[in-house]
Amino acid sequence: MLVLMSIFKISEIMKTIKIIIPVILLILFSISCENILDISPQDRIAEDAVWSDANLIRAYQTELYNAVPHGFFIHMYSKYTDEAFNNAPCCGANIFKLNTYTPDNIAEAGGGTGFWASGSGYMYYWDRAYEYIRKINVFLNKMQESDVQMSDKDQLIGEARFLRAFIYFNLIERFGGVPIVDEVYELGDEVQFTRNTFDECVTFIEQDISAAKAVLPDKYSSTDSKYGRASGVVCQALLSRLYLYAASPLFSPTKSQQKWQKAADAAEALLNKGFALYPDYNKLFQMSQGASNDEVIFSRGFTTANGHQGPMHNFNRRYEGYGGWWGSNGPSANLIDDYDMINGEPAFLPNGSVNPASGYDPTQPFKNRDPRFEATILHDDMYFRGAHFEMWIAEDGLSWGYDSYKATGDNPRTNTVLLKFMPEEGPFNWQTQFTIQWPFFRIAEIYLNYAEAKFELGDEATAREYVNKVRKRTSVNLPDIPATVTGEDLRRRIYNERRIELAFENHRFFDVRRWKIATTVENAKITTYDIYLNKTTSVKRYEKVVLLDRSNTFKDYQSLLPIAQDEIQRNPELDQNPGYD
Amino acid sequence: MKKNLLYYFPLIKTGIKRFLLTINLALIVACLNLIQVDAIGVTDQQQLQVRGKVTDSETGEPLAGATVLVKGTNIGVLTSVEGTFSIGVPDGSAILAFSFVGYKTREENVSGRTTLDVTLAPETTGLEEVVVVGYGTQKKETMTGSISKVEGAEIVKNPSVNVTTSLAGKLPGLVINQRTGQPGAENLSILVRGRGTFNDNNPLIVIDGVPRDNTLQDLNAQDIESITVLKDASAAIYGARAANGVILITTKQGSQSSPKFNLTYNYAINQPTINPDMEDAVVFAESYNEAEWYRQGRPATGFVPFYTAEAIQKYRDGSDPILYPNTDWSDVSTRNWATQQNANLQVSGGSNNVRYLLSFGASDQGGNYVHVDDSYRRYNARIKVDVDLSENLTVGANINAIPSNRHASVGTDFASILLSNPTVVAIYPNGLIAPGRFRQSSLLSDRRGFNEIKNYPFQSTFTASYKVPFLRGLTLDASYNYDLRNQFQKTFGKPAWYHEYNVITKEYDMAWTIQPIEVRDTYSRWTNSLFNFRISYKRTIAENHNVSAMFGTEQQKADYSYVMAYRKNFVSAVIPQINVGSTSATDAETGGSASESAYNNFFGRLNYDFKSKYLLEFVFRYDGSQIFPEGKRYGFFPAVSAGWRLSEESFIKDNLPFVDELKLRGSYGELGNDRVPAYQYLQAFQFGNNYVFGGKDSPGIYSSRMPNPDITWEVSKKLDFGLEASLWNSLLGAELTIFSETRSNILLQPVLSVSHVFGFPALPDQNIGEVKNHGFELMLTHRNTIRQLTYSVNANISFARSKIIFMDEVPPAEPYMEQTGHPLGSGLYYKSDGIINTQEEYANYPHGNGAQVGDMMLVDLNKDGKITGNDRYMTNSSPIPEYVIGLTTNLQYKGFDLLLYFQGQTNAWSYDGGLESFARTNLDNNTVFRATNRWTKDNQEGATMPRADAWQPGTTDFFLYDATFIRIKNLELGYSLGNNLSKRIGLNDVRVFVSGTNLLTWAKEITWRDPEINGSFGTYPPLRIINVGINVNF
Repeated sequence: MLVLMSIFKISEIMKTIKIIIPVILLILFSISCENILDISPQDRIAEDAVWSDANLIRAYQTELYNAVPHGFFIHMYSKYTDEAFNNAPCCGANIFKLNTYTPDNIAEAGGGTGFWASGSGYMYYWDRAYEYIRKINVFLNKMQESDVQMSDKDQLIGEARFLRAFIYFNLIERFGGVPIVDEVYELGDEVQFTRNTFDECVTFIEQDISAAKAVLPDKYSSTDSKYGRASGVVCQALLSRLYLYAASPLFSPTKSQQKWQKAADAAEALLNKGFALYPDYNKLFQMSQGASNDEVIFSRGFTTANGHQGPMHNFNRRYEGYGGWWGSNGPSANLIDDYDMINGEPAFLPNGSVNPASGYDPTQPFKNRDPRFEATILHDDMYFRGAHFEMWIAEDGLSWGYDSYKATGDNPRTNTVLLKFMPEEGPFNWQTQFTIQWPFFRIAEIYLNYAEAKFELGDEATAREYVNKVRKRTSVNLPDIPATVTGEDLRRRIYNERRIELAFENHRFFDVRRWKIATTVENAKITTYDIYLNKTTSVKRYEKVVLLDRSNTFKDYQSLLPIAQDEIQRNPELDQNPGYD
Repeated sequence: MKKNLLYYFPLIKTGIKRFLLTINLALIVACLNLIQVDAIGVTDQQQLQVRGKVTDSETGEPLAGATVLVKGTNIGVLTSVEGTFSIGVPDGSAILAFSFVGYKTREENVSGRTTLDVTLAPETTGLEEVVVVGYGTQKKETMTGSISKVEGAEIVKNPSVNVTTSLAGKLPGLVINQRTGQPGAENLSILVRGRGTFNDNNPLIVIDGVPRDNTLQDLNAQDIESITVLKDASAAIYGARAANGVILITTKQGSQSSPKFNLTYNYAINQPTINPDMEDAVVFAESYNEAEWYRQGRPATGFVPFYTAEAIQKYRDGSDPILYPNTDWSDVSTRNWATQQNANLQVSGGSNNVRYLLSFGASDQGGNYVHVDDSYRRYNARIKVDVDLSENLTVGANINAIPSNRHASVGTDFASILLSNPTVVAIYPNGLIAPGRFRQSSLLSDRRGFNEIKNYPFQSTFTASYKVPFLRGLTLDASYNYDLRNQFQKTFGKPAWYHEYNVITKEYDMAWTIQPIEVRDTYSRWTNSLFNFRISYKRTIAENHNVSAMFGTEQQKADYSYVMAYRKNFVSAVIPQINVGSTSATDAETGGSASESAYNNFFGRLNYDFKSKYLLEFVFRYDGSQIFPEGKRYGFFPAVSAGWRLSEESFIKDNLPFVDELKLRGSYGELGNDRVPAYQYLQAFQFGNNYVFGGKDSPGIYSSRMPNPDITWEVSKKLDFGLEASLWNSLLGAELTIFSETRSNILLQPVLSVSHVFGFPALPDQNIGEVKNHGFELMLTHRNTIRQLTYSVNANISFARSKIIFMDEVPPAEPYMEQTGHPLGSGLYYKSDGIINTQEEYANYPHGNGAQVGDMMLVDLNKDGKITGNDRYMTNSSPIPEYVIGLTTNLQYKGFDLLLYFQGQTNAWSYDGGLESFARTNLDNNTVFRATNRWTKDNQEGATMPRADAWQPGTTDFFLYDATFIRIKNLELGYSLGNNLSKRIGLNDVRVFVSGTNLLTWAKEITWRDPEINGSFGTYPPLRIINVGINVNF
């Protein structure tokens, strides 16, 4: 057409055109072809290609590892507990802070894709768990059929079975017994799922773990390029936690000694695998995957292309963190008070009064505490990355420290900031993808698992020995728990050691439930210390204030999470957890 | 050509003068042919000279520039300014054809005369009106479909930069809501007859014959000839994309005349219709303290308020603006008004073989924020030429380039300004800018870098039309269209500096935000090509039988691709270019993707009418869409319609002489909607979800959706009846249409009934839903002239209501929760019944776990003594209005003209989620509306709003409001200088005008924010525009 338009002397060639044009048009008309619609997509690959290519099969299997939630989402589970004060009025966090989770709102905490949606960190893990269980089942089926030659095929299958076991563990610690699905369903299949018992699930997990252990190498060193994959010790660590939970009061009302024995044995199997406590408690939580250490058994790694923003979600205004706002993970006085004194004595007695033997000074509550306190919690008058942190308010109310909640709402209301997992070096801003690894299992937990199980079996000496081991880490170096501490007192110390050592590692939420102490712990007021400075005398006054009163909102049945109401309606054969209907 | 256009247009900022030169040059080029062919006034074979004058038959005024042509030859002249002509004709029996745009062409036999004065009658509009329909035009009088139309002249009355905003209320059946007024992101929802599906309800937008989604807002209003909307089954000619209605936009073209210049210039100021009134520091602090008290369990003693009484006093009296400021963030962050301007020059004309239109427009819009470098510039350039290569062959080209540049500072949005804490200082008394919350003060925006989007859309259409000489009535039409859009987006971030008062040293410390310097460049490219061929035949048989037929085929192909590059940690912020960034691999990132789509189809239309009295039409499309699997790609979409013009019957003509036109019409057809994601029939895997082993990234692949191998389009069956009347010589016009639609095969994910234990990732859409929709449209027009006052009134009202017949819904626990049977867009809400005012009420009525005295009281619908999710009920509360009204009045008196245009809606509901979160720990601000008369321990009995930090288990109908409103959408007053006065200054016509948009709004319930936006009060409201303009013809 353009050619035609440029023709200049129109009148002369008019006659030619009269003939040519219709012919051209007819030719164009006949060009119209049907295969114009045969377009293959440019941004995805078809399924057949996946299962016939070894590298794509590996990529599929790699992706399965995303199944298990780590702790660097916007909401660490810590703020669902008494470890921290939760400011965030959204995204599911609120329902845990107020203990108002019900079948109707629990799915809010379900995560999903995207920045805000995943904020809740998959506390309601149901949907994601079953999605990955199906992916794993598909993988296991396809591997049975596949004739693609791969030297690492058995290993990939073993890892997939470990992952399925880990997913099921994550399900049962939340919900109790859940439906066991080990086959692949397709659209249109009509099945009514029913819940298996907790013990059936444990057996299923055991089977997967033993199948995995049979084909996996026993251990990768922390600097191995395959570190982060499942191995024999990883399987064993999961088994240790599984049996500990299974023996705990919530899941074992009969207090079966046999179950405690299994828990003790599972932990014991890891004691001589070459693991040891890392000397520096603080540095341990600033490591990226690949760094040398003997403590972390299994971790989720991150890279600068595939990182997380945990520090930004939890730090205060110094680095424009959201610690005072959505992230709002300010450590609570509830936790602070539970750190022992440097002399190894608890600061408070069970009745709440000051332990005279501890040397605790209520006018200086942050003084002379367990070194893990200042490795975990950044408080007034501490230094971090060269900056002096000041959380005080002048007695006259006219001036305040830069990090005080009075300065701006960007500082956590608790006047404390989470320090664990905060990088002491490197860039610290929203544009950075942080690479600090998330520890799923580390040997200190295994020691504490062992101590707890041994205690329940009556072997208080061994229990004390392993708790003391944890307290003897080079940078901690607390005095031993004396042999005079026995019975309930010792149990309290074991529980407390776990609370302190594993703080902010997503254990507390489940521990208080399986110990059945949540009705006390989760109903306690969340408190913090306000710090007033007398500018003439330079004396600081610490005043404990209540931030949240949630008395009696936690009900006993809330130890297990409800299944979402919609899910029950989709599948009426599924029993709701008691108390929720 | 293409490259030159794109390259030069951004440079033509120097103004109209330089452009005039360009236009003139272009004109000379365009007219070269014309001069060659016409040889005006110079003929060899002249034997007889005929002189005369051409005048208007009604006014007697001379017509300058009318064409006088000797029929069957190339001999022709144009009339002079006085309307006179002189032409040599071969012999005395020659026939002269007189033509002029807007007038009926007249032929006159010379019959040996040498003087020939001719009057031309103006082309009557109205009944003779021609309406653009799918692939052609039809006379309005014999049309059988439900089709609304608006003229370009009416659209330009609204000075908005985005043309879509001016359509609201203009076209009965078209539901347009402006959900935000953010310049360049107006987010207009356009619906034809409300919603018919759960999925994409957007109508198909066809510009000059080509489906061009997402380009309507960029069109130059001055280029638009008309907009028509196919609302009923007549849209079936667009097949699988037509179910949501089709909007056809036709651009202007030149007509036979001497060059006519039209210059328009508009200058306007704009501001948000309503800036929500936010709490000041005192109310904010008081309500926050209340909330703290509630959160701490309402201690009887020992409560230490977050804000002390002294602090609140300081906020109140302003005695310490550094530490205890009372910041009105909206006030310090927004201007009273922003400016916008728009200049447009158009020239059109033509001889008997060539018609042309050249148009150039420039729009410029500034932002409403202080310290934010916001601007939007757009240039619209169009050239449209049609050439008659011979008596039978016409070719044309329509080329349109729309370069635009949107520049914005990063990190400012309306919601975050409104929600900012008023107790935080924005600007210190000495003028230094404070950091704000999280150092995110909007006042730092222009120091943080920018986000720039440069768009270069280019649209072209080439047409050829051939009237087959050996078969009268047979025409071949072909067109090739190629659109290309390049978009370049640059985001540049850098640290911003600010000052902060140090309470200890009493100094203002300067500091920087910690963001690294970063650049993200994204280059995107879209192409769209469409080839269209049509063969049509039109014939009158035996005088009374009018037959026409059209058959065509069309192929469309579109593709999209983008690449992205990112680097951070620049050495310096001086040059925002990617290569200046750090070369470390950990500081860089790249991305990209591509997609393609295609359509192939055949379509046709058959018309038959007897004496223009009994009308019959059949249209169809055989449509193929690549979105669906092989074997299921093609579908057949037919529609029939019929009409009966009673006014042509003698029993009406004889008995009811005041009836000008009376027509009954009806239509029925089947249409499709294929607006769903492509490739849902494939089990496909995407790259991503990498995992880390040994500290190194390992690639992952995943599939996020189950396949549905049977997927196909939604089917819409539309039935329409209409009555059109024109009485007493257009004194009263009326058009009533009633319609019903059944949409079946609606693509829905069966999410609700499939247990998640199956572990399916996102389920594919399945053709399972069904929705019925019905309604009516009524339009009344009145036009009259009383002496020198000419006026017209046009009132329209449309109604559409949908009803869900089937969706995959789990049988809910209670029958009142069921969505089936309710309109699309309705939602589940807890039923509220005021406030739990007293402890006694708290004790006596059921309340949720978490509720306190002062919260809203919820109704225990199922009477089980508890407030649970089962106490939610399904409301009919869609934000899409069921009734939309428009009322336009035009007055003309001597040189003055006045337009007054009201737009309104009712049966629409809006949930304001922003009111939920009040005095919460995140320190967000809220509206005065929410804070006023809230429950406090001192205001228990009479409280009308819940307490601070109120608890609610989910969305409650407490914050669900009736979104009924009426607004003066448009008011324009113009004055034309009159012909004589204009001509004295060398111009044909001059009109000056002032106009206003969104001048006044009356809202039934929603008074704290604009009632048209949906959702939180934090949404940027539509703009009020005050405009002055001038229009010159020469």
